[in-house]
Order: sequence, then C-alpha cells, then structure tokens
Amino acid sequence: MQLKRILVPLAGTSVDVEVLRVAIALGKPAKAEIVAIHVIEVRWNLPLDAVLEPESERGEGVLDDAVKVAEQAGAHIETELVQAREAAAAIIDTARDRKSDLIVLGMPFRKRLGRVYVGKTVQGVYVGAHCAVLAYRQEETR
Amino acid sequence: MSDRGDKGPKEGADAPSLEERATHSGSKIGDRRVRIIRPAASEFRRRGGHYVATPRVDAAQGRLGRVYARARHILFGARLTSEEEAGERLSKKTGLAIMASDNISSSAYATEEAMRVLAFAGGAALALTMPIAIAVCVVLAVVVLSESRVIRAYPNGGGSYIVAKDNHGVLPGLVAASALLIDYVLTVAVSSAAGVAAISSFVPAVHDHRVLWSLGLIALLTVGNLRGIREAGVIFAAPTYVYVLSLLGLIGYGLFRVASGDMPVAVLPRDAFEPEGIEPLTALLVLRAFASGSVGLTGSEAIANGVPNFKPPESRNAVITLVWMGTIFATLFLGLTYLATRIGIAPDQFEFETVNSMLTRSLVGDGTFFYYLVQISTAIILLLAANTGFSGFPRLASVLADDRFMPRQFAFRGERLAFSFGIIALALMSAAVLAAFHGSVTELVPLYTIGVFVAFTLSQSGLVRRWWRLRNPGWRLSMAINTFGAIVTGTVLVVVAFTKFLYGAWMVLLVMPILVGLLFAINRHYRTVHDALLLDRPDEPIPVLKPPVVLIPVARLDRATLQAVAFARSISPSVRAVHIASTAESAEEFARRWRRWTSEVPLDVIESPYRSLLQPLLKYIERIDERDDRPITVVLAEFVPRNWWEWILHSQTALRLKLSLLFRPNTIVIDVPYHTEDPGHGVTPRKPEDSSQ
Repeated sequence: MQLKRILVPLAGTSVDVEVLRVAIALGKPAKAEIVAIHVIEVRWNLPLDAVLEPESERGEGVLDDAVKVAEQAGAHIETELVQAREAAAAIIDTARDRKSDLIVLGMPFRKRLGRVYVGKTVQGVYVGAHCAVLAYRQEETR
Repeated sequence: MSDRGDKGPKEGADAPSLEERATHSGSKIGDRRVRIIRPAASEFRRRGGHYVATPRVDAAQGRLGRVYARARHILFGARLTSEEEAGERLSKKTGLAIMASDNISSSAYATEEAMRVLAFAGGAALALTMPIAIAVCVVLAVVVLSESRVIRAYPNGGGSYIVAKDNHGVLPGLVAASALLIDYVLTVAVSSAAGVAAISSFVPAVHDHRVLWSLGLIALLTVGNLRGIREAGVIFAAPTYVYVLSLLGLIGYGLFRVASGDMPVAVLPRDAFEPEGIEPLTALLVLRAFASGSVGLTGSEAIANGVPNFKPPESRNAVITLVWMGTIFATLFLGLTYLATRIGIAPDQFEFETVNSMLTRSLVGDGTFFYYLVQISTAIILLLAANTGFSGFPRLASVLADDRFMPRQFAFRGERLAFSFGIIALALMSAAVLAAFHGSVTELVPLYTIGVFVAFTLSQSGLVRRWWRLRNPGWRLSMAINTFGAIVTGTVLVVVAFTKFLYGAWMVLLVMPILVGLLFAINRHYRTVHDALLLDRPDEPIPVLKPPVVLIPVARLDRATLQAVAFARSISPSVRAVHIASTAESAEEFARRWRRWTSEVPLDVIESPYRSLLQPLLKYIERIDERDDRPITVVLAEFVPRNWWEWILHSQTALRLKLSLLFRPNTIVIDVPYHTEDPGHGVTPRKPEDSSQ
C-alpha cells in the first residue's frame, strides 16, 4: 500500500516518541504527509470551544515535542490541536477530512485485572476509522 | 465543513489574535470538534494565560543579522532566559573571587602606601607601619562585623544606599549611593591603572602607552562582565586564588625563616627616602599614613551590596564570604607588613620597585620561579580588582533605577542577565576618568576611599537608628556593634577627607553633591511623569473620543499618498490634505490635479516663496489646532525603499516632520509606510493621473 497521509494521535504519554518514529519510518519511503494530532477532551458541562488553558498548554507541549522528535529523525510533520467531546470521534473525523490512509496509534503498556488494558480511544478508533489503523503497543518491560 | 462564527458578534471579537478556533461538524451528531489554529505556535507559546516568546522570535533575520548574532554569541555567550537567573548566582568561592578581589588585592599596596607616608619622617618611623596595619585591620574587623549586620537586615542587597535611605531618609541614602557610584568608577580606573603599572614594571615599553593599555583592559573587563556575572566569576576566580595562595606561601616561608633565625638580608630600594626624614613625626603624619593604609578597606562593601547575586541562602553565603574576605585580607596585610618591617624593607622614593617585590626578592631570591609567580599574580589581581566595580556599580544602579533615581535602562537585564547598561556606563565613565588623569595611579589614588567611608558611616549610623526603632531580640548588641562601626568609619572618613583634601579629595567632595542633585532631578522627572500617567481609579472607563481632525501632508500624487489618504478616511470623516508648493504655478498645477483626482478630500495648498517646507506646515497645523478642539492627527505617507542603502537617495521629509511633531501636544502622528512591493493593506490601488512628480 502506498501511504500518502498518516495521522498520529498523541496523548502525551511515554509511548508518543516511539509511535511517532514508527509513523515516520512507515511514511518516509513514500514521502507521506504526517500529521500529529492532540485531542483535548472537553467535559460535557463546558462549551466545546471553552478556552482550557492548562490543557491547551499541555497539548502544545506534546505537539512541540513531536516536532522536535521528527526533526531529529529528519522528517517534517504537521501538527493539529483539537478540542472535542470524545478523542476517538475527533481522530476518526480528522482522518476522514484529511483523507488519511493510516492512523498510527500508541498504546502505553498498562494492565488492569491482570490483562493488558486497551483504552477506549484506541478501541473507538479501531472500530470506527474508515482507513487502516495500526496500534503500537509499548513493550512490557517498560 | 467549517462553521466558524456561529455565535453573535462580541465586543472586540474581530480583534486580531494569534489563535483562531474553527468549529468542524463531525460525521455524527455530537461529534463536533474545535480546531485550535495557532500559525505562530512556534514563536509564541501559551503559558499560564499569556504568551511566551520562544527563542525563534529573537532569532536573527537575514545574513547580516545572523553574522552579527554569531559574533555576539562568540563574544558574550548564549542568551539566557529569565528563569536561568538562579543558575547565574554565585557560590561562595566564586563570590569571593568576583566581589572581594578589590579588597584582597589592596594587600598588594596597602603596606607600601602607609610606609611611603611614614618614610617622610625617616627610617625609624617605619616601625609604626605594623601598629598602623593592626589599626586598619581593627577597622576592617569592625566593618566586617557591621556589614554582616547590614546583610542580615537587608538581604535584598542595595547595601549602604538602602540602609541609609530606610533609616535616615532619601537624601542621606542618595549621598551614600552617589559616594559609592563615584568610588566604583574610581575602583575601575585605579585598578586598571595599577594593573598596567604592575605590567610596565616587567615591560617598560607599556608605560608610554599606559592610557591605551588601561582602556584595553577596561574593554576586556566589560566584555567579561557582559557575558554574565557567573561567567565573569569563573574567568576571574583562578587569578584571585593563585594570588592568595602564592602570598600565603610567601608569608609562611618568611615567618618560618624569621622564626628559625634564618633572617633574610633586606633588598634595598634604588632610591631610598632620607634616613633622617624630611618631616617631623607628627600625629597628622601618622594619621595620613593610617589614611593611606585604609585604602585596603575599599571593596568590602561590594558583598553587602550584591547579596542577591549569591546562591540561596543568600544572606548566609554573603556573610561567610565577607568573613573569608576580611580574614584573607587581614592575614595577607599583617603578614606582609610584619615581614617587611621585621626584615627592614623600605619603600622606593620614585616607585621603581614595590615593597612587596623587594620583600619577595629578599625571601626567595631574584629571578626565581616563585618571585615571578608572586609578581605576575599580583599584577593580574590588581587588574581584576576593577571587577569589584563591575559587580557593584550595575547592581547599585539597578536598585537606584528601580527607585526611579536613575534612568530605567539601568534596571534592564541584558541577554546574559547582566545589567548591561550599567556595565557599559561604568566602562565609559571609568575610561573617561582614566584618560583625564593620564592613567596615573598617583593622580587617581587621592580621590579614592572617601566615597566608601561616606557610605560606611551612613549605613552604620542608619542601622543604629533601625535597631533603636525596632528593638528586636538582641538589638542592644547589634546597636553597640553598629554604633562602634559608625564612630570608627566616621573617624576614618574625617581623617581621609582631611589628609587627602588638597591632594584631590576635594574633587570627589564636589562631585558628590552634584550627583545627588542629578539623582533627585531624575526622580522628580519620573514622579511627574508617573503622576501624569496614573489612572484615577483601577476601573477607569475608556473615554469616548470624537473622530480626530486628520491632516495629510502630501508632496505628490502617487501610490503612497493614495494609501495614506485611504487610511486617513478609515479613521475619520474630517480629512484634509495640505501641500506646500514653492511657486504659484506649481501650487495651481497641484491643486488642479488634485481636483481632477478627487473631490472627496479637500486640499489646502500653501505657497512657500522661500521654499521652506517644515515651518509653513507646522504653522498650518498650529492654526488648525487652535480652531478645533479635536485632537490633530497627522497622517504621513512614507515611501520605504527595498534596501537600506537606498534610504539615502530619498529626502526623508516624513522623518523630519515626525521629529518636528514628536513633542507637539495634542498631536497624533501616524506613519503609513509604502513599500514598493506592497499592494497596500486593504487598499485597491486606483491609478493616479500623474505620478511623475
């Protein structure tokens, strides 16, 4: 498959750097356009366009770090900061709008009740995305 | 997709912003999302409800700019953020090197200064050098003890100025401040001159160009200090410690030889003073010797002034450094004086060789490694003593600037967090003093030390009042210490001023009140401005102004004029153009063309038979202003050439007019620049009929 556009949702977790490198490695041969996205989930008791200073700052920080990682890997990425009620829906719709071929998701290694835990965003994107989805799970030793 | 603007218009909603929020509908109901678009995110980062400019904002533009930035980087180092200020603080060891080098270096000449005065009364009078040295050290102990109280009472620095201002009032505070400012300038001048004198002992050729060499040294110190205070400390720490260790080694070796009965033979000066003396040994002569020896007390106030420069706990570290400084100076001064008087070293009448040099030669022999080590490290520390001025002056000036007694520029920190303006001002003033006194240490020294004792006395007496007023636990002891300190330093001040008055101290005593007056005048200006600008209440409503009367001086009918007229009409309906013509024919011609171009903007044409441009225009604005109570707004059409060097090809009338109107009350000047590649912001150019003029 010729990858032209890759969307990389970043949540600001320890897996971000690795998942971005994976996306760059996948996209570089075909010179794919890579977009890193951070979704701020807005609670239902607030307006969707509410100015959420700490969350916006954190999001900008996550995306800035992503740009630095990409620069170190010799790649150029675009970034997008989004506010939505649910991250999964926002990621799916952004991927649709941007005509992404692939969404590369990161999963920090977490266990709940003795089983690897898959967050609702990953599950939601896996189920709902129109395009290919690649979930990168962090190594257990981390 | 985007359905931005889904809310009703708000006040200021169309104001430009660095951030845009675009709402996008989702594939399902309730899946709407808001894209936060930040085109300038790499330049302005959001933090705590405001924007923070990133390093990219300050990045150099263009090739020339990058070369300049690179040169600055090499010379002054990388820029530091305000948060890095704590990392720029001084440890005790670095603090000792950077703030105490002046005081410690005084041990290189304090013994000789006292001896040279006593030598006028004959060789036997030199025996009094040791008692005088002990007296100076007693005064130093009192000063150290008293200054430690200053540091504890005023941990934010400012030293004598703050103490005197808080407890005696503004005038004594400013007297202390001006005394210290003068002394810091003199410290730099004297130390550079002394350093060059020490070098010229080895390299006589330097003596002929000593002013130039001294200025070069000041420039070197300026660059070092502009690199930041901590880096200056690192640069200057090593020589200070080499000096201290080599001198301690010399004293230890000398004491061992004296104690073991291996008394060295004294090296005799080339031109000794008359053995019988040329003056009687009077109390005044002894006092003069004491005053000269007191030169060793200068620099001890720098630590109290610069407490915030230390790493936390600032006060404790500053006090410990102060005690180290006093102990080191006293050990070196007493040790050298003891050995010099015990061995029988006498000063040279014409300063061919220093007392310390003769003492070192007597102890370790001529031309040995240790002799050169002592001499070279002495020369270097004398040069670096000037650094005390560089650490003290900018800090004090910044405190004065914060209090609005000095221009505000003195309070700004440069790229390396150093008070760059203060550093450069100090360098320029000390260079001027140095040049005026031909780089001569002998001519400069009499001006020295008065300022520091004025400041000491005022701060000590100020603390006495403070303890009396506050009566904190232990106030009696503190008050006793500072009373004693005030009496001792006050006495030394009288002695120094009296004995050095005719030798040049009068100049300092003359300049000090002038400087105080200047500081007062600066403060009066700032207070006036502050009062004029102060809002009556915090929720002062924004006044509603009538649209201004807009005047557009037009030289010709061209695109720049078109853009200026368009802009003027966007801010007010009362727009009038004015043209100055040199002849009646050109006046008529311009009016005709204007009428043909537009009837919407009235034009006044003024014929100026003497071809003057600014005066008729200014008088016209004045007359219009008299007839209308609305503010006058002058909109200037200014052509901006593409390259800077093309600038000289244009007459810069707009610039001259701007300067003329700068100080005119009730006048707003708006510059509408026109760039050749600029299509104009929102202006649809309409071809003027004639733009050839």
